[in-house]
Amino acid sequence: MSDVLLEVEHIHTFIGQFHILEGVSLKVRAGSITALLGRNGAGKTTTLRSIMGLNPPRSGQIRLAGEPIHGKPAYAIAQLGVGYVPEHRAIFRDLTVEENLRLAERRRGDLRRRSDFIMTLFPDLKRFYRHPGGKLSGGQQQMLAIARALVADNRLLLIDEPSEGLAPIIVEQIMAALRQMATETTILLVEQNFAMAAQLADEYYILDDGRNVQHGRMADLIHDHATINRYLGAG
Amino acid sequence: MIEWIKYRRGLIIGIGAIILFAYWATTTYEPRVLASILLSGLTLGALYFLVTSGLSLIFGLMDVLNFAHGTLFMIGAYVGFTLYANPRLLLNTVPFVIAVVAGWLLAGWLPVKRIRTPGWLFWIGAVIVAMMAVWGFELAPLATTALSSGGRIPTEQAQAPTAIFVIRTLGLAVAGLIAGIAFLVGKEHAQQPLSAKLLVPLGMLTLALIIAPIRLSAEGWLLSLNSNTRFLLALLVGASSGAALGGLMEWSLIRPLYSRPIYQVLVTLGLVFVGTELVKAIWGPGGYFMELPEWFSRRGPGCPSPNLIAWLQDNCASIDVLGRPFPSYRVFIIALGLVMFIGTAILLQRTRLGMIIRAGVQDSEMVQALGINVRRVFTLVFALGAGLAALGGVAAAPFLGISPGLGQEFQLQAFIAVVIGGMGSFTGAALGALLVGLSRAFGDQIVLTGIQLPWMSEAMSFSPSIARASTVLIMALVLLLRPAGLFGKKE
Repeated sequence: MSDVLLEVEHIHTFIGQFHILEGVSLKVRAGSITALLGRNGAGKTTTLRSIMGLNPPRSGQIRLAGEPIHGKPAYAIAQLGVGYVPEHRAIFRDLTVEENLRLAERRRGDLRRRSDFIMTLFPDLKRFYRHPGGKLSGGQQQMLAIARALVADNRLLLIDEPSEGLAPIIVEQIMAALRQMATETTILLVEQNFAMAAQLADEYYILDDGRNVQHGRMADLIHDHATINRYLGAG
Repeated sequence: MIEWIKYRRGLIIGIGAIILFAYWATTTYEPRVLASILLSGLTLGALYFLVTSGLSLIFGLMDVLNFAHGTLFMIGAYVGFTLYANPRLLLNTVPFVIAVVAGWLLAGWLPVKRIRTPGWLFWIGAVIVAMMAVWGFELAPLATTALSSGGRIPTEQAQAPTAIFVIRTLGLAVAGLIAGIAFLVGKEHAQQPLSAKLLVPLGMLTLALIIAPIRLSAEGWLLSLNSNTRFLLALLVGASSGAALGGLMEWSLIRPLYSRPIYQVLVTLGLVFVGTELVKAIWGPGGYFMELPEWFSRRGPGCPSPNLIAWLQDNCASIDVLGRPFPSYRVFIIALGLVMFIGTAILLQRTRLGMIIRAGVQDSEMVQALGINVRRVFTLVFALGAGLAALGGVAAAPFLGISPGLGQEFQLQAFIAVVIGGMGSFTGAALGALLVGLSRAFGDQIVLTGIQLPWMSEAMSFSPSIARASTVLIMALVLLLRPAGLFGKKE
């Protein structure tokens, strides 16, 4: 059993007056891909945003490599080595691909150092290096959003629905990239596409209605059709 | 083809309107009249641009509609004018401000963590000490300017003796220190280590104290400088005081309210009244006129200058444009606007800060998630926008005069320009300002001569308010065709 990199303990998060997370807990082991599963509205995105400090939890604890990070502002959490790939990509449409990546630099020369790695993962980005992000296709925007999280040295990547709205062939490409990224970093992945999550993840957590329902090894979940049908829809 | 027309309906109508208008203008006015209208429009446009650029950036990045932007413009005008005509007021008050800030900063080096006394006690203490320090200080006589007292101000009058001044300065530094402690008590913060950074507040305090004995000679020295140098200093000091005030405003009043946008609007609206009354209290309700520096004021033989290059040598008050004299100072305003436009554009396009601002306009949360402290950028942009507006204020002072109402007029027109250009777009702000400036200039001309279309037997005359109404008309037209403004992307 390798070390736990991220530890979330009983967090309660509110958005406005709505109690979205009602005591979610999870552990992400270093060097693994952990999938966060559940229906729409189960609280998966809010969990990622709570970890990132964008919707800070009102109570509970979040620790990165043992150090408490709950209550820190988002930029400070990012600087501790957490990369965030949000839902709907959130790339900067008016900035060029290069500027999008450059913005993610935390130290001078980050991009130069990581450029080769990123460009072999996503050759398309090289082709459109000086084009505005808004002109890219959906799949390319997703690649850019992931690439942006790879520029700085991140220990943990929070990736929200990378396959959303993309053609199967692009999803394949992104899966291959994630698999390669997992060799050197840790990923917490939110994914509606169960087939994709099943192929990538080592472990899983299922959320329902803002609470933990079940967790374990992905290899076991694949055969548990009752759970899949009950909590993940048609699966 | 039809699809294409449908898609570009706004563009086609816009170009059509411009061609029609250009045709009308060229057939109605002689070239020299037209040239001077256009130049007047550019002058106003340049001034509006200095206000709109900040307004638009601040709105785009932080979603704050800053009603006080015009007030900052006005305060810039007053501060610049004061340095130009009556530096005594600044010399006798600025050290106090520096002392308070120095004291406040010094608190960071104290072991505040060990203090268990509640913070509010310190706040009360700070207020009491500050009150004692400024007890008996009279501002009004200091603000009496050369203009209202007729010529040079008698130097001995209205200045406190050096000893009292030093006591006041030290007292205010202590007040600042106590307030700084009050601010830090109970907050999680790191005590500053002993390093070269400590020299900043200490240096500020020393500077404030050094000014005390040399106030008189410094004033004499400033007034003996030639008017051009004083004018440049006025631009610099006016703009930087505006920037400092803007930064302070964001940090103290706007920042705590990002979760309550309505309150932010109300706060900036309230600041308009506070600022206007404060200006009236210090400088009086009347207006001032700032003299033109020598560069733009020579009259006599050889004037107006035949062209711009000749003006560089003879510094005439006006320059000949197709046989009509045009004030050379307005050319300077146009040039200033242009330089600031290019400067800001370079900042936005070529620097990392600019990249962060452009990205933040689209999605400041994501910028934050990349590890960038957006709040600090917010303060910086607020200061930058306020500085540009204040610079505009100083530049406008010799051209429009200075009065407490100066801000509001600009605020309204600047809002219109921002809406025309599209909220949050820098290019849009520039273009909107230009359009508003030009329409004001044409409006003024129409008021003067009326409109005579081919089928009319005599010219139709308009009331003077048409110049102001024309900008609203343009705004309505633009919004009908492009609800987000010319370059707007935000809803």
